[in-house]
Amino acid sequence: MKQALLNLFRKIEPSKEKKLLHTAYDAFFTFAFAPNETTHGGVHIRDGMDLKRTMVHVVLALQLCYVFGTWNIGHQHFVALGEHTAPLAGLHLKILYGLVKLIPIFIVAHVVGLGIEFFYAARKGHSVEEGFLVSGALIPLIMPPDIPLWILGISVAFAVIIGKEAFGGTGMNIWNIALLSRVFIFFAYPTTISGDDVWVAGFSSTTPGSVVEYGWFVTSVLNPILATIGSATFNVQSAIVDGYTGATPLSLASQGGWENVTATYSSSAMLWGAIPGSVGETSKVLVVLGIIFLIVTKIADWRIIVSFLVGAAVTGMLMNLWGVTVFMQVPWYNQFIMGSLLFAAAFMATDPVTASATPTGKLIYGFMIGFIGMVVRVLNPAYPEGWMLAILFMNTFSALIDHYVLEANMKRRMKRAVVTATA
Amino acid sequence: MEFINIFIKAAFVENLVLAYFLGMCSYLAVSKTVKTAFGLGLAVIFVLGVTMPINWLINTFLLSESGVFGIDLTFLRFILFIAVIASMVQLVEMIVEKFSPSLYNALGIFLPLITVNCAILGGSLFMVSREYNFSDSLAFGLGGGFGWFLAIIAIAAIREKIKYSNVPAPLRGLGMAFILTGLMGLAFLSLTGIDPAALTAAK
Repeated sequence: MKQALLNLFRKIEPSKEKKLLHTAYDAFFTFAFAPNETTHGGVHIRDGMDLKRTMVHVVLALQLCYVFGTWNIGHQHFVALGEHTAPLAGLHLKILYGLVKLIPIFIVAHVVGLGIEFFYAARKGHSVEEGFLVSGALIPLIMPPDIPLWILGISVAFAVIIGKEAFGGTGMNIWNIALLSRVFIFFAYPTTISGDDVWVAGFSSTTPGSVVEYGWFVTSVLNPILATIGSATFNVQSAIVDGYTGATPLSLASQGGWENVTATYSSSAMLWGAIPGSVGETSKVLVVLGIIFLIVTKIADWRIIVSFLVGAAVTGMLMNLWGVTVFMQVPWYNQFIMGSLLFAAAFMATDPVTASATPTGKLIYGFMIGFIGMVVRVLNPAYPEGWMLAILFMNTFSALIDHYVLEANMKRRMKRAVVTATA
Repeated sequence: MEFINIFIKAAFVENLVLAYFLGMCSYLAVSKTVKTAFGLGLAVIFVLGVTMPINWLINTFLLSESGVFGIDLTFLRFILFIAVIASMVQLVEMIVEKFSPSLYNALGIFLPLITVNCAILGGSLFMVSREYNFSDSLAFGLGGGFGWFLAIIAIAAIREKIKYSNVPAPLRGLGMAFILTGLMGLAFLSLTGIDPAALTAAK
């Protein structure tokens, strides 16, 4: 099987003269196989991992979030309609609907992002840099399910061109690519990514009584097929049930504190993730599994994750003590199961390119993200959630942190050198 | 408490460089290495922190109608503000030359040019238009200076780092500095909207 695949690759290898074709070929070849070439000379790396394999591990850690996110898009949609409200009822409809929403997002993010990467790789005449593999896997997970696809395309193009290629490509960027594309939408098209109306797919407004909007694909392709095999179909006349708001736990908490949240969502629903939100971040349990996977395989540095969580917890406790608004009185441990705190800690802050590189720097970097993110989430009335902005903020300072950590290190060693020299 | 509010607001929420884009010339020109950026940043903190209270005194007691002369002399505001700033910069220049000749040489023309750094005159004019009192203007001076200092050392560290990146040739140098400043502004937007005064008032 492996040999057959290798032979197939060898057979279809285009000549190196055809730049664009060969770039594309190389990208897919190294995706399947580790290259044979090893470093000669003075560089020694103990680890067999190359960049692409590191990234594949991150993508693997995200798979559970993808599966769950697909189901959750459909589940939230039907909960809003008051149909199939039990978790497993109408399972195939939920998954079908999730796929209808998620696959276009996934395709647009990859076609735009990879297209730009291929273009630059061919222009510069080197093999394609696989940096978009992780960004491309992360971007669909941090978008609301109903994001207009053209806005998504523009934001990905912005992030890849201005955020990465201008800096010289993979590994050179200062700010996290996935977050840059999200922050671009956040400031350029705020109504598509914030507020209570955007987190449940299929409606332009979540006020009770508004009728569902299925696209032509669901009504004229999926529904006839479902009808012929004799299963339940998507009901185009259904509308949102009375009393439904679509509000996320964070917006409930900022309005009325923790009691207001638990009136709508149980803690276990928030823990397992059957709540409205961005596609991939709602399930805390699966994200924690991802964290464990990343730490065990040593892809992510535990220092960032731990100091991030400590920073968020300490800030949460300080806010409990201060407690002048209802949001500040939310018990600090409950802050962890709302919003995207854990997802950001696992997959966004640990990006090895944009984080600080020194061990001490990583501790400072993670702690500051935890602190600033919590401050933005709780104290800033303008933004509902803070981690995206906090991570971008600390990305700005990660180079500076490294600079001073290195300088302190040099100073200490100089002192030691002087002492031994005089002794 | 009011002092801390204005300090935080001036340093982070309404950063002079990244929210108002003031003081860009020396910010772009001197941010090639962290060491010189650090020196210039400290100089700006000092000059802003000293000139704003002095300008407040001048504006209140010399130029206003209720002042010493009893006539409205506000048309002299710009000249007097600049004169105070220039003399402060002269003072800084002498101190830096005396105690750190290497920094003095590294900063070169940009040290005297703090005089025309728009962040500094801008700070004094903000003080007038926002009707700050004496301690407010001291807080705004120190906070605004600190925000400027943070911005310039952060971009200097990034520029030191991307020296080793494969930046497309047309963007090397200033082009990259502009892109960096824009993206830093985007990152600093995270704090816009926080109002320290509203939080303390709620207590």
